[in-house]
Amino acid sequence: MHFFPILATLRRHRTTALLIVLEIALTCAIVCNALFLIGDRLARMDRPSGLVEDELLRIRLTGIGTKADDKAVTVQDLAALRAIPGVKFVADTNMVPFGGSSWNSGISTIPDDPNGNSAGIYMGSQDLVETLGVQLIAGRDFTPEEYVEDARGTAPVPSIIITRAIADRLFPGKSAVGQKVYVTGKEPQTIVGVIEQIARPNDTRAGVDLAGFSVILPILLPYTMGGNYLLRVEPSRRTDALAAVDAVLNKVDPNRIILDRQTFEEVRKDHFKADRAMAYLLTGVSLALLIITAFGVVGLASFWVRQRTRQIGVRRALGATRGDILRYFQLENLILTTAGIIVGMALAYAINLWLMQKYQVPRLSAVFLPAGALLLWLLGQVAVFGPAMRASAIPPAIATRTV
Amino acid sequence: MFPYYLDLALRSFKRNVALTVLMVFAIAFGVGASMTTLTVLHVLSTDPIPGKSHQLYFVQLEPRKALGARPNSEPLEQMTYADSQALLRAGKADRQAMMTGGNAAIEPQRSDLKPFFLRGRWTTVDFFAMFRVPFVAGGAWTAEDDTRNSRVIVISRDVAEKVFGSVDVVGKTIRVEGNDMRITGVIDSWRPAPHFYDLNFDTYSEGDQLFAPFSTSRDLKLSHSGSMDCWEETPDSEVLGAPCVWLQFWVELDSKAKADSYRTFLTSYSEEQKRAGRFEREPNVRLRDVTEWLEFKEVVPRDVRLQTWVSLGFLLVCLINTVGLLLTKFLRRSVEIGVRRALGASKRSIFFQLLVESSMIGLAGGILGLILAWLGLWAVRHQPTQYAALAELDLPMLAMTFLLAVFTSLLAGLLPAWRGCQVTPAIQLKSL
Amino acid sequence: MLHMKDVSKVYRTEMVETHALRNLALEVNEGEFVAVTGPSGSGKTTFLNIAGLLEELTGGDYLLDGVDIKKLDDRARSRVRNEKIGFVFQSFNLIPDLNLFDNVDVPLRYRGFSRGDRRKRIEGALERVGLASRIRHFPAELSGGQQQRVAIARAIAGDPKLLLADEPTGNLDSQMAREVMQLLEDLNAQGTVVVIVTHDPEIAARAQRNVHIVDGVATDLERAPSLVRPTRAAAGPST
Repeated sequence: MHFFPILATLRRHRTTALLIVLEIALTCAIVCNALFLIGDRLARMDRPSGLVEDELLRIRLTGIGTKADDKAVTVQDLAALRAIPGVKFVADTNMVPFGGSSWNSGISTIPDDPNGNSAGIYMGSQDLVETLGVQLIAGRDFTPEEYVEDARGTAPVPSIIITRAIADRLFPGKSAVGQKVYVTGKEPQTIVGVIEQIARPNDTRAGVDLAGFSVILPILLPYTMGGNYLLRVEPSRRTDALAAVDAVLNKVDPNRIILDRQTFEEVRKDHFKADRAMAYLLTGVSLALLIITAFGVVGLASFWVRQRTRQIGVRRALGATRGDILRYFQLENLILTTAGIIVGMALAYAINLWLMQKYQVPRLSAVFLPAGALLLWLLGQVAVFGPAMRASAIPPAIATRTV
Repeated sequence: MFPYYLDLALRSFKRNVALTVLMVFAIAFGVGASMTTLTVLHVLSTDPIPGKSHQLYFVQLEPRKALGARPNSEPLEQMTYADSQALLRAGKADRQAMMTGGNAAIEPQRSDLKPFFLRGRWTTVDFFAMFRVPFVAGGAWTAEDDTRNSRVIVISRDVAEKVFGSVDVVGKTIRVEGNDMRITGVIDSWRPAPHFYDLNFDTYSEGDQLFAPFSTSRDLKLSHSGSMDCWEETPDSEVLGAPCVWLQFWVELDSKAKADSYRTFLTSYSEEQKRAGRFEREPNVRLRDVTEWLEFKEVVPRDVRLQTWVSLGFLLVCLINTVGLLLTKFLRRSVEIGVRRALGASKRSIFFQLLVESSMIGLAGGILGLILAWLGLWAVRHQPTQYAALAELDLPMLAMTFLLAVFTSLLAGLLPAWRGCQVTPAIQLKSL
Repeated sequence: MLHMKDVSKVYRTEMVETHALRNLALEVNEGEFVAVTGPSGSGKTTFLNIAGLLEELTGGDYLLDGVDIKKLDDRARSRVRNEKIGFVFQSFNLIPDLNLFDNVDVPLRYRGFSRGDRRKRIEGALERVGLASRIRHFPAELSGGQQQRVAIARAIAGDPKLLLADEPTGNLDSQMAREVMQLLEDLNAQGTVVVIVTHDPEIAARAQRNVHIVDGVATDLERAPSLVRPTRAAAGPST
């Protein structure tokens, strides 16, 4: 329609036009990246743990002083906790997915491999696999004979359960069950089972691609070394079970301290609080940016309408309808917004590259660019509507006025 | 002329309240957000031990086997028990301390107080002088206590008041993990942020609440807390000769020259160990002072740094927004500017008049931005992050808020004021 | 006092060159009251802008009160405008949100006078134009003629040597126009040089001297005839 005349007019108001384009470009770049980061954080927070999360309770505890009988007490604890109404399975363990502190070891198919990858090692009592509710996709759980009583590593550990991630990496294309890996001690462990997934207590140190690297070892631990009890409870009875834990454990041995009693949902929530905070902040900033840019567009458009009042009056006198005037301003805004978006996209990619390098952020996926573009087009059109309507209301009589 | 420009600015604001309010808010939001994140960044990056941060050094050696050695690699980030002991005995620095974190249960021996769990530090006597730990009662144990496994302990004032109801408890005993320990001193609230001497914990969380001699902790088998890295299988990782690192070793050296000669000493120690067959790799030592150590460990959380950049980007957009709005505001007054020029105002006068107007907006934006920053920090303090309690506006940050706001608006006002003063007197006068 | 010789002004755009003034020569002495006339597009507005230091000339010489204007930078020119020239515009150009006192004050502020000094001058100027009683009122509360009188007060508050008026009665009815012209004549009688640009022959007739500008060249008219036909002017003495 009026494409070239619009460009000509904009050239005369070069500075203000450039400012709008710049503002839209920056907003587009920042919002695209923000939306992307929000998506990334939400995806992280949604990561599966591999457990039956709505049935699990986690108790953290410690003994006081050295205990000679801690193994026996552990057994008694587990029995007593099992007796709580609603409890299906109980286990003690050394660590918990998203739980924070982590035990790691290198895993490889050859002994003493300096290039072995780091894996999280879960160990505890005999019902651990049942309690966690992890999904077995090949092989079996440990048999009672395979368990070893010595966490200090002097007795050889015969078996191991690994995750699918490890199986795919170390034994691609074949069955991992029956293969041997070196994780602890001089002797290898034979893989007896493969589970779908069990998340590590913390991912940050090992890196994103080792996030699924976990193993379960049949090593029995007293609670003083493990520090965690896990209870698998019917979902509706979790609150009651949590309330009963203190009394039950005190009855077995009052001489210890219970540090934490949480549902697994609370464990997960705690672990991802930083990601949640970041997502909120980015959302807030994006909204604020869009609002400010909208107001900027309104301000500038109003100014232009005022500057060109006489022109508009003349156009109307010469036969333009109100709709023509409205569409003129909408088209002008569209041109500016598009220019801003094009620059903004390039800027968004540049920013993403910089973030990737400095803050190990993943690469911006292309879907966010049209999303950001659409958002800004909409914003521009909504913002310019008011001033454009005012422009269309300018009476043609203005053309003849001299003062 | 300044009061005149001020008066003119105020009149101009009254004439177009909506636009002025919009500009003030834009600057306020940009400044508020930036100051919130900048304050958090500032708080987390301050020197935790000003005055001594260039005299305290963290020691790193490379005790691993040859297998798996890579060229130009970093040595391990902690020390073995054996090496720490050896360096302590060598005593080549002005002061030295070996240490590790630990956990202990306190049994208050009171019917109304249940046993509770604390994080503590197992270290040697020099620790207190090196890190300038403030005492409210008593003092550290003696050098002899270090060698004699004495049952002595230093506690924090919070623990003293919780268990005994006062800080005057020097000489009393307190039951730790089933053992009676004699209190030699009570320290004041001490929370170096970040607690640089041991970065295995949440870097900005609560400080250590109790301290005991390292040798005593071994004797009593007190549990260790932190990170344990073993490069070989071993039945007991906490034994003297174990192939594991889990200790931190700090030295005090009050001059660059001393630091250089200590580095040389570490290298020759490594060579000695290699000849003895204990170390297998080439000597690879590090001696970083507090600042270098914190930088190397990238202590400020990645998210905090990211947030700072985001809010600065936000401020940039607010700035451009303000430039545009100021431009329209000034150009709208072309006629008035033309009249003033005709009546004898120089370009410079008009420029300054418009600049004063911009900085007034900046000042108002700064005041509002300060309130917003204060609110933002209040929100940060209520986040469940480890550094939440530290997020407070101090005087330098407060001043910076205003400076940032005024500077931003001055910067934003430069282009519009320049364009405004370019309005030629002649052309505007005929038409209204 | 005002001495222009060989003055030319050329406006250049990308495609067009407009010669608004060509070799214009004019001398105005102390005490004179000059009316400048001419058809639209003749260059009389440009002449006014140049005379009032609002625009720079492309060629020629212009001396105002002995000072060579060409040698002055923007700052100095603003000073000269401020101290030596008073302007009266066709559309008054009072600043709407300042009251009369503050409006007359504007040029004085850029002069650097003390507060008391300014006050005296403002009150004196408004007294001279007969509006001292409305000193705190705003322009919107006054009639057209009164606004123009305030503009004149503003122009004279600094005791300028030259008063330049651009169609000062253009927006006024005949009664008010007469009042304003009377005021200007009084000021001239008191020693101020007055130069008015006008297209109204009645107004021109009241001036002591008429200068006619056509196609960028100025010609003096010995007498101010009531009807000036372009041919007659062209037949007059050329420069």
